[in-house]
Amino acid sequence: MKRKTVFTVFGLLIVFSMLLAACAKTGTEAPAAPATEVPAAPATEEPAAPATEEPAAPTKDTFIFGRGADSVQLDPSIVTDGESFRVTGQVLDSLYKFDQGTTNPVPALAECTANEDATVWSCKLLEGVKFHDGTDFNADAVIFNFERWRFTTHPNHYASQVFEYYEAMWGGFDDASIITEVKKVDDYNLQFVLSSPMAPFLANLAMDMFAISSPTAIQKAGEAYGTPAGGCVGTGPYKFVSWQEGTEITLVSNEDYWGEKPKVKNVIVRVIPDDSARFLALRAGDIDALEQAVVEDLATAEADPNLQILTRPGLNTSYLAFNFKIKEFQDVRVREAVAHAIDIEGLISNFFGKYGTVAKNLLPVGMLGYNDSIDYWEYNPELSKSLLADAGFPNGLSEVTIAEDVQDADGNVVYTAGQVIPLRLYYMPVTRFYFPSAKEVGEGIAANLTAAGFNVELYLEGDWPTYLGSRRNGLLMGLYLLGWGGDNGDPDNFTGYFFGSGTEPIKREGWYQNAELAAILQEAVTLPDPAERAKLYSQAEQIMHDEVMRIWLGHNNTPLILSAKVQGYTPQPVGAENFEYVFFSN
Amino acid sequence: MAKYILQRLISVIPTLIGVTLVIFLFQRLIPGDPAVAMLGEHATEENVARIREQFGLNRPAFLDRDALVEGDLPGFFDSQYVRYFNRLLQFDLGDSIHRRIPVAETLKERFPATLELALLSMFFALLIGIPVGIASASRRNSWLDGTTMIGSLLGVSIPIFWLGIMEIMLFSVFLKWLPSGSRLSPGVSITPITNLLLLDSLLTGNFAGFWDAFKHIIMPAVALATIPTAIITRMTRSSMLDVLQEDYIRTAAAKGLSERVVLYRHALKNAFLPVITIIGIQVGTLLAGAVLTETIFSWPGIGKWVYDSILGRDYPIVQGVTLLIAVIFLFVNLLVDISYALLDPRISYD
Repeated sequence: MKRKTVFTVFGLLIVFSMLLAACAKTGTEAPAAPATEVPAAPATEEPAAPATEEPAAPTKDTFIFGRGADSVQLDPSIVTDGESFRVTGQVLDSLYKFDQGTTNPVPALAECTANEDATVWSCKLLEGVKFHDGTDFNADAVIFNFERWRFTTHPNHYASQVFEYYEAMWGGFDDASIITEVKKVDDYNLQFVLSSPMAPFLANLAMDMFAISSPTAIQKAGEAYGTPAGGCVGTGPYKFVSWQEGTEITLVSNEDYWGEKPKVKNVIVRVIPDDSARFLALRAGDIDALEQAVVEDLATAEADPNLQILTRPGLNTSYLAFNFKIKEFQDVRVREAVAHAIDIEGLISNFFGKYGTVAKNLLPVGMLGYNDSIDYWEYNPELSKSLLADAGFPNGLSEVTIAEDVQDADGNVVYTAGQVIPLRLYYMPVTRFYFPSAKEVGEGIAANLTAAGFNVELYLEGDWPTYLGSRRNGLLMGLYLLGWGGDNGDPDNFTGYFFGSGTEPIKREGWYQNAELAAILQEAVTLPDPAERAKLYSQAEQIMHDEVMRIWLGHNNTPLILSAKVQGYTPQPVGAENFEYVFFSN
Repeated sequence: MAKYILQRLISVIPTLIGVTLVIFLFQRLIPGDPAVAMLGEHATEENVARIREQFGLNRPAFLDRDALVEGDLPGFFDSQYVRYFNRLLQFDLGDSIHRRIPVAETLKERFPATLELALLSMFFALLIGIPVGIASASRRNSWLDGTTMIGSLLGVSIPIFWLGIMEIMLFSVFLKWLPSGSRLSPGVSITPITNLLLLDSLLTGNFAGFWDAFKHIIMPAVALATIPTAIITRMTRSSMLDVLQEDYIRTAAAKGLSERVVLYRHALKNAFLPVITIIGIQVGTLLAGAVLTETIFSWPGIGKWVYDSILGRDYPIVQGVTLLIAVIFLFVNLLVDISYALLDPRISYD
């Protein structure tokens, strides 16, 4: 009996293998039938496809975008990852949007005008627009969304959800909110009442996070709104169809779209985690476009006539920061010595390649308040050495002293005043869009610094969450690398976010404190006149430069690789790209 | 036998509790906070605190000493682990911290993908490994044996990510025969029953779907199968070689039995015990070790998912997946032990 069982299992295995082979055979004879909607592999070269494939590919009606990670959620108000916005940006519209390829907010679902002191914004909504679920887009819908984000007591403001961007951009929840009221005038007119003037108001409205969802859909799905099961419902050019977790999200064009009708019928946003595999999928014709490619693949793509490279303007800045709890770093001469020790231009051209530019402001080039009169740091190790000598370190610096006790999040003292530790350079353990090869840059900086008399220890703090956690608690005790990417093209989102609260030492920003800078930034965000704001942000840049409070390294443009047949794709400096303009040439 | 199986099943319980404790402890030894991992560069104090509160991360991991000092007994036991264990008893694996959806829900969708890949890889490994191992042992030191040995050495040492990329280069980019990744082509759908696509498509008579799924799974399955194939080949060969030296084999041959009968009826069955053991271990390795294969072929299984979850400190996912793998591993090993008794009448568990 028992013997038989084993052999039966074996027999079954063999039969199964035959079955597989047999099915494989039948399959080759039959044409790849169900792929009628989409040709399985659009032959990018001459049709050298096996005879079993469909002969002539029909007009391509599906745009497939390849990316490294899945969306977290499709409710844009509770997430912060670009991969979520890439999809929600197609399905949901905001009241304003960023004009193609720029950071200028232009009217989308609404057109707004401010009163004299810019504390009341009157908005006229588009009429006759419907959500994908058939319900009307109107003042009530807008008010529902804003109230849901703002009020922690709102029935659809769930405790498990963090409406991070509402809090960050509009000053806080409930009574802390700068928007004190969204008043309905009639079905298609409403007013935003602000507690104080807010210069980036329209830019904020245009952000993907403040896109308007169908209230009915939110109420129906409850906490599941935005999950693979719940999807999302807006007024955008594409409608949500399905989300296979970790694989792909499928969208279909909204034939009733109020704006320019989408040119391609289906959009698939597909996850291909491995950078090389993603690039190969593009070359194989399995996807039409991708983001995030390794340098070697970019070189291959440049040489391939079937591919094209587009660059997204770098609305980001990478930097080297000082921890101001270190006594030596409190001396501006030491900080300046560090600045002159680093060959920033060499590092950027080596490690960012041709997609990077050297930074001399925290603000990216061209942003309101960008201060072009600031000089780049001269690479001069001799000057560094003499500055160090002036500061009292003629033999260079290899150990530093803690100025005051430093506690961790739980209140334990981690560093005590007077403690001497090695001079560390913390490098990021990951690649970020603003920092293509952080470790290599770290090594380069360490080599530069050593040549100028700083004997640094290149330090790995742990993986990314560990690194971010230590940074948040001001525990990266030395020099450290990091960066920032903008959300709405406004300078407040850069300088204001970082140093606007600098009347006290900012733990997260290496304990930096500068009340004068903070006052300027707090004023700048309330001024309605862009020219006056520009002056203040420019002044802030000058202060940061004179203080050498940080060393700005580079701005990185993100390359996107697309099939040469893709037309109408415009990289957006902020926010999701607009897939409705995409079409294929033959 | 029934008693033995029952005993084994009962012994699974303390093992699993041990597994949950170890996973729980090790995860919390890694520095870094799920809330910070989730909120990234934007994290504010308040939001980090809120997320920690929401997911109970502000509670002690195991037991609250402070509460005990204050004489608060329920507070003493109100720890992350106890909360987790309570939910586990109700078959609830908890919710993902980042996604806020039940771990079980995602697991239901992703686990079959990994299982299907692992089963097919194991099938390939058995299909090739055992016959080649036998053939190689029966013709020791022949060219076949030499080739097998070199081949299996390569199989164990070729990095999967390299092999995977080479497969894609050849079959997707140059020959354009096979898709470069994922489980199905756009527009192809298979009615889900078990979520094992090959099986579901056969059950529903969807042969076009089967062919599409097969074209997608073949490259990752081959890549994943290389190591187990090599190991099983080598194990079968060496085990067969041992058995072939035995007296009873010489007797059988001397009796005038054909080589086939000697090999398959007399030698193979006895040589099979160590091979079965290795197969059992390989099943676990396949399930847990699919991370690389899944990443390269964008295969939506649990490997890549759990890897990302470790980086993101999404504790409930890591706990859920590890627990599931532990359960399967224990179960497969139980099957292996039972099969010993079936193969070798001298082994008895009664």
